[in-house]
Amino acid sequence: MNRSYLWVWMFFFTCAICVSIPAMAGEPTEIVRKTTDKIITILTDPALEGAEKTAERKRLVREAVSEQFNRREMARRTLARHWRKRTKEEKKEFIDLYGRLLEQTYLDRVEDYSGEKVFYEGEEVDGKYGVVKVKILTNQGTEIAVEYRLKKTNDDWLVYDVSIEGVSLVNNYRNQFNSIIVRSSYKDFIKKLKAKVEEP
Amino acid sequence: MRIFFRIFVLSIFFLGVSQTTCFAAEGAVSSISFQEGGGCGFLIQDVGGSYLVAVMDLDVSQEGSHSMGRTRPLSLCQKGSPEQEEDEEEFDDIPEGEMEVGFIRDPFEPINRVFFHFNDKLYFWVLKPVATGYKKVTPDQFRICVRNFFSNLLMPIRAVNCLLQGKFIGFGTELLRFLVNSTVGMLGMMDPAQTALKLEKQDEDFGQTLGLYGLGPGFFINWPVLGPSSVRGTVGFVGDMYLDPAAWVSMDFGEWFVIRGYEMVNTTSLSLGEYEALKKAALDPYVALRDAYYQYRQNKIKN
Repeated sequence: MNRSYLWVWMFFFTCAICVSIPAMAGEPTEIVRKTTDKIITILTDPALEGAEKTAERKRLVREAVSEQFNRREMARRTLARHWRKRTKEEKKEFIDLYGRLLEQTYLDRVEDYSGEKVFYEGEEVDGKYGVVKVKILTNQGTEIAVEYRLKKTNDDWLVYDVSIEGVSLVNNYRNQFNSIIVRSSYKDFIKKLKAKVEEP
Repeated sequence: MRIFFRIFVLSIFFLGVSQTTCFAAEGAVSSISFQEGGGCGFLIQDVGGSYLVAVMDLDVSQEGSHSMGRTRPLSLCQKGSPEQEEDEEEFDDIPEGEMEVGFIRDPFEPINRVFFHFNDKLYFWVLKPVATGYKKVTPDQFRICVRNFFSNLLMPIRAVNCLLQGKFIGFGTELLRFLVNSTVGMLGMMDPAQTALKLEKQDEDFGQTLGLYGLGPGFFINWPVLGPSSVRGTVGFVGDMYLDPAAWVSMDFGEWFVIRGYEMVNTTSLSLGEYEALKKAALDPYVALRDAYYQYRQNKIKN
């Protein structure tokens, strides 16, 4: 190839990279950042402080979070191969119950927030899948590595898994649910899940 | 068969045959991978010592023929109703590697569950009340200093394992951290190496070193008091004990017990509520803990 052509190609290539980087980096991270900031604002709002405001606070956090999660995707990945054997109604029921379980777990954890700092360490995008890497610095000086896994559905990036120090939430529940289902039955498992969700 | 081979490798290690022999043997272990199952076929691979089982199939023993396996495209498997096919299609574009689910074998689950129950009671009846009381009478900063002090003493474990893993920068970092923190950091109670010099603690141990060399986790062991571990983790723990300065100074069991006990109470006082949260979120806390341990360790070995 002619030398001058090489330069032309390199120029185009560089331009392409320059253009695509800002477009690529950002979208999933921005989604996570926006939601995180919103939650921190709610949790640190002096007007919402105190035990008597807990319900109100939880409602606001729930609202902020729920639209960022892809419940169906989470449910499907968690139930894994048991998912295909379920009827439409069973799937719907499971998505609802599992969603509630995750919500409770998440809200309980978030309630413990006490000024931890959040750093955005980068993201990886592969087609319609993305990973946002976050570091949380606790007040005790410990760093916790958190990864949000997102999937683009209809132009929206939605979270379908969160992993903390390499422990994926979906994988963890998948192992638990699977062990219960193969030992007893899906019906038994749903009964247990229901009891868990309705636990005070 | 495979596990016997591992036990054989481990026994070589225990017999104190030189480490080079040991690692050579482990290298051989890591290269074994085999295929199982027919029909859809699922693949069990040994990657970094873990059992990576296919896409979303966890149950190998039962209903193996229904498993989707780690086949791409998945539609090669069963054809189902249109709705199912749509699901399969969606599964199909999941990035390679992400849907691989590892799990640790647990042949002694009944015994492990007994010890899980024991540790649970130990936590709620002894450790938690003591740690809560201790927390009330000591400021956070003090307990963080105690934690840092103990952690600083364990530098040899981290440094040597950095070396064994070929992480020479990590090795240097650990030495430098020890030097800085033991002096400026007041016997390791502060961590100026991290805060001022940005020298990160290298969290390496012998279990990770073995994992890096290709030794699999073996099976899950839930020790009383010590908690979740694996064959590999236990071997690593024993190996690391030789590098623990506590082993170098002469101490009788009573002293050792008091120091370890205090360290445990101090650590617990800084993480109260974490175990409760895990339990509350879990449908089967034992499986949740086992899986969290396994995922956590695999992630550590990767990094």
